[in-house]
Amino acid sequence: MSTPLRILGIETSCDETAASVVLRDEKGSGRILGDVVLSQLEEHSAYGGVVPEIAARAHVEALDTLIEEALLRAGVSLKDIDAIAATSGPGLIGGLIVGLMTGKAIARAMGKPLYAVNHLEGHALTARLTDGLSFPYLMLLVSGGHTQLILVKGVGDYERWGTTIDDALGEAFDKTAKLLGLPYPGGPAVERAAGAGDPERFDFPRPLVGDARLDFSFSGLKTAVRQAAQSLEPVTDKDIADICASFQRAISRTLKDRVGRGLKRFKEEYASVAQPALVVAGGVAANQTLRATLQALCDAQGFRSVAPPLPLCTDNAAMIAWAGAERLAAGLPADGLEVAPRSRWPLDGGAQALIGSGKRGAKA
Amino acid sequence: MWPRKAREVMSANMLVLAIDTSGSGCATAVYDGAARVVLARAQEDIGRGHAERLMAFVDEALGASARRLEDIDRIAVTVGPGSFTGIRVGVAAARGLALALGKPAVGVTTLHAVAESARKADPGRPVLAVIDAKRDEVYAQSFDALGQPETAAEVLPVGLARERFSGFDGLVCGSATHLVAGSEMAGEASRKADMIDIAVVARLGAAADPASAKPKPLYLRGADAKPQAGFAVTRAVAG
Repeated sequence: MSTPLRILGIETSCDETAASVVLRDEKGSGRILGDVVLSQLEEHSAYGGVVPEIAARAHVEALDTLIEEALLRAGVSLKDIDAIAATSGPGLIGGLIVGLMTGKAIARAMGKPLYAVNHLEGHALTARLTDGLSFPYLMLLVSGGHTQLILVKGVGDYERWGTTIDDALGEAFDKTAKLLGLPYPGGPAVERAAGAGDPERFDFPRPLVGDARLDFSFSGLKTAVRQAAQSLEPVTDKDIADICASFQRAISRTLKDRVGRGLKRFKEEYASVAQPALVVAGGVAANQTLRATLQALCDAQGFRSVAPPLPLCTDNAAMIAWAGAERLAAGLPADGLEVAPRSRWPLDGGAQALIGSGKRGAKA
Repeated sequence: MWPRKAREVMSANMLVLAIDTSGSGCATAVYDGAARVVLARAQEDIGRGHAERLMAFVDEALGASARRLEDIDRIAVTVGPGSFTGIRVGVAAARGLALALGKPAVGVTTLHAVAESARKADPGRPVLAVIDAKRDEVYAQSFDALGQPETAAEVLPVGLARERFSGFDGLVCGSATHLVAGSEMAGEASRKADMIDIAVVARLGAAADPASAKPKPLYLRGADAKPQAGFAVTRAVAG
């Protein structure tokens, strides 16, 4: 499409309420015109994790004001918007409903198309907004809700190469933090504690390392951490630091093996791609130890490592607006206003449900 | 052509779009506030799927009333108490419409709507609205003979509600009538789920102060989450 597009994005799939206006110019370059994120961190911290009902309650009272703020910052009105993009899955259903209904109402009232965007597609396409990356590339999404290695072939064209068969990586951080009495969210707390620790003191398990398939598993690691901590009770600050450092080391080694295999596979399947790239997204991408591991891995295998700025790695609405812009520009059809929110929605339609996904199929 | 004066009167008419998704029903209505008539409504007991179907109900009521969404002056939406998710479907849609249309949205409680329906049928008496909240609790609120709230909306154990309102001199209505006032007070209709009259929602919405705060869910119950304690390992005392 050869005209500039302005898209309003809405994101409410977990514990961030977000709205953004993104411009996609004639050449396909993107620019964020206005971007607002309201974190519900404090509402959930007492519970050591996201409480779905609390999240949904917060979304519905904040979203319309955030949309107004995003438009204001962008210096545009709804009349200037070409389409509405709202996350409609996967995620917490109560929050998804709020964002999607708001998006439907605005789309209907303004007579603009609505794109019901897959949250994972938002993460997958962000590197094209920030770095103008060309297809195909690999993406590692590591967050509180997801741990996936995805081949991004084109807009709407994805292959899930690996996913977690139990806990998401961010969840493993949160649970470890909770066990050790560290604050929520666990990622930064564990990383801080690990700084002074001995990463060699505990030899924690690295499930699936060496396995040919590219999936992840972190629940065994969680159990091992608990057993180690309980065997030391009462734990000292040194014990906590050593456990956190050893935990991070186990994860680094797991990622090195799992992602390393993924990079090799990419090079085999796409030998003609001159500059292969690995995009790292999700809140866990903020962890410096893991970042360093992935950077070293990319350097060793000749991959360019692309890590969008942190606010665009964690949940945000700019990526949803951008995914909408990409879909619109690619000529993909808009969604009808009867579209349903989906708590489970694999990005790769052909992805199989793994153990632990339950009878409703693959979560993501 | 309308004479100028008549056109001005016409434009002063307030057109209200009413929405209710607080229970198993999904209902919309277009209400003419000046003529005090419902121009059209769309409603069905759909059980679930409000998020998928609400916009079609909005279009149906607009179509049947031969009005466009841009003609609407105000949106009225039920804010509960009721299904948490259902309330959010309606409130999010109402606030989204209000934002895009640049028109106010106002909230109407289900207790007020239930009481108002009863008061209309049997005017001149105070009204106590009691809605079955399950788990041996009821949502309750009393209104005077003019329909003004006398007590705050609250959730009460059935026993306490019975005690609190034992001397209530007026009409008791709503799905928990048999629980609070005894079965002799409750007609067959009141035992059924509270079907909200969308025309009443529209009328109460038309009478509400548009400058009041944006519609906000009235849950009356907490999020049912408990801080997790005793999960962490014990820490050695420092020093």
